[in-house]
Parts: sequence; structure tokens; C-alpha cells
Amino acid sequence: MSSRTAISRNRAATEGDVTSQTVQPTSKVTASQGPRKRRGVNREGLEAGRRSTRTILWILLAVAMVLYGFPFLYLLFTSFKTPIDTIAVPPTILPTEWTLENYANALGRSGVLASFINSVQTAIISTLLSLVLAIPAAYGITRYKTPSGRVFIMAALVTRMVPPVAIGIPLASMMSSVGLADTPIALSIAHTTISLPLSIWLMSSFFEAVPRDLEEAATVDGCSRLGALWRVVIPVVSGGIAVTAIFAFLASWNEFLFALLMTAIRSQTTPVVIANFQTQFGLDWGSMTALAAVYSIPVILLTLLLQRKIVAGMTLGAVKG
Amino acid sequence: MRISDRRFALYLMTPAALFLAVFVAYPLFRLIADSFFKISPIAGGPRDFVGFQNYVTAFASEAFMGAGWRTLAYTLVVVTLEFALGLGMALLFTTLGRSSQVWRTVFLYPLMIAPIVAGLLWKFLMIDNFGLIGTLLHQAGILSNPNQIGWLSDPNIVLFSVAIPDIWLTTSFMCLVLFAGLQNIPGDLIEAARLDGAKAPALLFQIILPLLRPVIAVALVVRGIDAARAFDTILIQTNGGPQSASETMSLLIYRTMIRFGDPGLASAMGTIYLLAMLAVAFFAVATIWRPGKDN
Repeated sequence: MSSRTAISRNRAATEGDVTSQTVQPTSKVTASQGPRKRRGVNREGLEAGRRSTRTILWILLAVAMVLYGFPFLYLLFTSFKTPIDTIAVPPTILPTEWTLENYANALGRSGVLASFINSVQTAIISTLLSLVLAIPAAYGITRYKTPSGRVFIMAALVTRMVPPVAIGIPLASMMSSVGLADTPIALSIAHTTISLPLSIWLMSSFFEAVPRDLEEAATVDGCSRLGALWRVVIPVVSGGIAVTAIFAFLASWNEFLFALLMTAIRSQTTPVVIANFQTQFGLDWGSMTALAAVYSIPVILLTLLLQRKIVAGMTLGAVKG
Repeated sequence: MRISDRRFALYLMTPAALFLAVFVAYPLFRLIADSFFKISPIAGGPRDFVGFQNYVTAFASEAFMGAGWRTLAYTLVVVTLEFALGLGMALLFTTLGRSSQVWRTVFLYPLMIAPIVAGLLWKFLMIDNFGLIGTLLHQAGILSNPNQIGWLSDPNIVLFSVAIPDIWLTTSFMCLVLFAGLQNIPGDLIEAARLDGAKAPALLFQIILPLLRPVIAVALVVRGIDAARAFDTILIQTNGGPQSASETMSLLIYRTMIRFGDPGLASAMGTIYLLAMLAVAFFAVATIWRPGKDN
């Protein structure tokens, strides 16, 4: 099998997964060609059939899930310990006394709440900027398939390989020379250099799935090309736009190196504050774990809620050929 | 007057292209230009053209060559372990089928966690004295004392220890991509092989892995690029120490720039690092991946 068919098949299946409730038959067709011979109960392809095998596999899965989930649970448990308990030798898994003291300490510290506001602000500006730039660009690339489009998507790919540490310092000095030093705007522009290539990539694959007849019908009806994009195509890919927005938001929310290089006090985001706990206040593990929990839980919940879309976007982002 | 489609497409791409030119290409140009100067870290200080002197200094310095090898070793460790664990989990989810769907979702959660938080979390688990891992291994009778393994303080193993949060964070990604690939292997093919009496290892190495090759290639390239740029997790765990034993390229460049105040040398190192990454990535892309060929 050539790699080309494998990748496009893979994409088809991924897209099937996005809407696996509605387009179930499609993904089944992709998964097997020709009539399926079934042996045993519920068995297709690699799925294990024998009861004893399945029991062993479930036990394996349980062990893996416990090992994988434990580190974050331990962080949560620790955040509810008393500050002294936090660094007890030997450490205990569960708190001996459950308290919110670490949370009060962490959130009460000056600059922490401001850093949350900065994180939210930076992530929102960066997400909007990515979308505004990526949507027309991706549409231009996928709809018209010009040589310049091909060059452009390759160039966007190359920017993905640039190490942030290489452009961080020149970017910071550019920003301060135009008077934007230490502002959320400057940081969100820096974050957009990371999320824009990814957004163009993701949006291209969403546009590719839109049937061309749709715009053709619209232009026949007297719509301009821009009008067709705005009124006909954009509403169709709104789900894809949402996925792209989540990824751009997460990229900015979790970013650390640019934030470290480009912010001082005014526009510091929470990841930098979390890292600073370590040096500025000695080893205040209790507050650090509490702040880390507060910063992570909203995005974990958000993404678990939207998991179907996230999974699709993540696989597309990686597998898009 | 109606503009041509070709021109219209160009207009649509222009804003994004301009953005990348101004905020990625121009800083890169500045980086390369700076690499030929001896620059005083003080603002407005002297700036003397020194030709390739910074490059000579970089290649002659033990720190730079060491960081290069460590970055390579780190990337190989991270990508290999992630691939093995990710493939294991993807096979487990596939063999369990639809009933494991909830757990597949839960398995994704580390992907949402900031690398800085992951680094912190694992530092807390591995740190000397009150780290939980040493204590648990001691209680299980594997270690004679909880501090027997200095995860983050023993220069011989620290490069491996600092890789753990990175592996923990992104094994989910590897699993997700490989799982998607596994769903596309025709069930009949597996059935036929089974009827021919193929055992599990033969099935894995002779049928599944060859069919997954394109997906594996993509996953390895994407993750390899990311691992080679690792910064946050290492900085927060060890800051490159002890004795530079976990100092990878990103950290060395950062420290050369900020701590040692030598922007010229740091730029030369950054340029070499970038060129090396591009060379490896282009080689990988050209031989196994080829993005955009559907266009």
C-alpha cells in the first residue's frame, strides 16, 4: 500500500470519528473492505474475542490507567495537605488533614490573580489573531490550489520547526522598539507564531471536506467569492473553527518560554508565576501544587467535555498529509 | 472588474504570510545577523563584526558539543519510549474495542496540562528526601533506602529522569495517532492471517507495523521535532544541572543569552541548532512523509 492512500484513508477514518454517531457507516466501510466474516462474539479484526483474554487485557488497562492517572491525583492530594505535611519525610499519599490552606496562600499572593487575567487575555487575543489570519489563508490554499499556496503551506510547516528559543530574544527586542514591551499584545503575537501554522494546517483539512458545489451554487446565485466564503462556507466549517480555536487557546495558555522572555511584571502569565515560586519564595511546594491545580483543572474539564472534537483535531493536526 | 482566482487566492494568503514574515522570518534574520557580531549585553553597548568567530567558539566549546549530544540522546529516549508505550496502549484499546472508549478519553488528560506543571509535578515525585517514588520503592522493598536513586541529583541518570514528564505528557498523543491508524487496518487481513496460524508477534511485526508505517513516520517526525526543542520541563526540574548533565540545546542557548550575557555566541548556537533541526526534519519529511502532496 502506498503511503498516500494510507494517509488519506487515515484521514477519512479520523473525520469519521468526529461525527462517529452520525456517520458510523462511513468509518466502517473504511475499516474493512468487502464482506466481513465474523467469528465469535463482537469480534472484528484486532478485537480480542476470548473471555479470558479480555479479562487479562482489562486488568492491564486498569494498571496502566492507575499508573498514568496517579501523578496528577497526587498533585491534587498534595494541594489539600497542610504546608508542613507537604514536605513530610516520608511522604504520604493522602493528606492526614484536608485543608484549603495552600489554595488560600497561593491565590492570596500578590500578582497571582493578575497573572490569571493576563493568561486569559493573552490566550484570547492570540486565538482571535490566529483565526482571523488562518481562515482566509487556509481557504486560499485548499480552494484554489495555486503553486503559491503549496509553497505557503510548506513554509508554514517549516516555521513549526523553528525553536522558540531562537526567535524569542529578537522578537522581544522588536516588541520593545515599538513600545510593546511587557504587554499581553506582544506576548499574544509571539504565541500566534506557534498557533498560526497549526491553525492553517487544521483549517485546511476542514475546508477540504467541504464540497465545492456549495460555493459554486452560491456564486451562480450572484454571491461574490468573498461573500460565498463568509455566508456559505464559514457556517459549514464552524465546528472546525471551534476545534482550531481550542488548540490555539491551549497553545497560548500552556506556553512558557516566550512568556519568560517577553514579560516582566505587568503582563506575566501564570506558568511564569508557577515557575517563580521555586526561586522567589524558597521551596513552597504546597502553594505551587495548589496554583498548578487551579491552572490545569479548567482546561482539563473543558477538553474532556469537548473530547470528541479535540480527538478529531489532534489526529488531523498530526496526520494531515 | 473581476480579479483572477489565482490572484484572489494570493490575497487571501497575504495577511498570514506577512505575519509569519514579520514575526518569524525577520527575527530569524536578526538571529543569523547577530551570530556574526560580538555583542555587549548592555543595551547600546558596542557591537563588533567578528565574522565566523562565534561559530568557531561554539564548535570548540565542550558545553555546546555536550548539549548537542544530550539533545540527541534526550530526543531518542523520549521518542522511543513514547512510541513503545503509545503503541502498547493503542493496541490495548484496539483489542478491547468499543467498550474501552471512556478510558481512551481519560487517557488523553495529560495533553491538556502545561509542560511547566508536568515538570513540577514529576520533580515533586522524584525529588530527594520527600519524593514519593523513592519512598514507595523503599516500602516495596526494592530500594534499601528511599534516597538510593538520586533521580534528579545523579548526573548519570538525570537526563533520563528529566525526560519522564515529557514522555508522560505526550504518550497520549502517540497513542491517539497510532490508534487512529490501527482502525484503518482491514479486519479481514487480520482474520486471514489468523486463519493461517499467525501468532501475535508475527501479526504485529509482519502485518500491523508495516501497514502503520506512514502513520508511525508522521508521529515520530512531529514528536521528534518537539522533543528536540524541550525546555520548560527540564528548566523547572533541574535547570540543566547537576553539572550540566541535563543541559540540552534550548537550555544552553537560553543560559548563554540571559545568564552569561553573550548574545552573539548564543545567536551562533541558535543558528547551528536551527540548521541541524531543519536538515533532519527535511530529510525525514522528504523520505517518509511529504505533507501537502494531496494538494
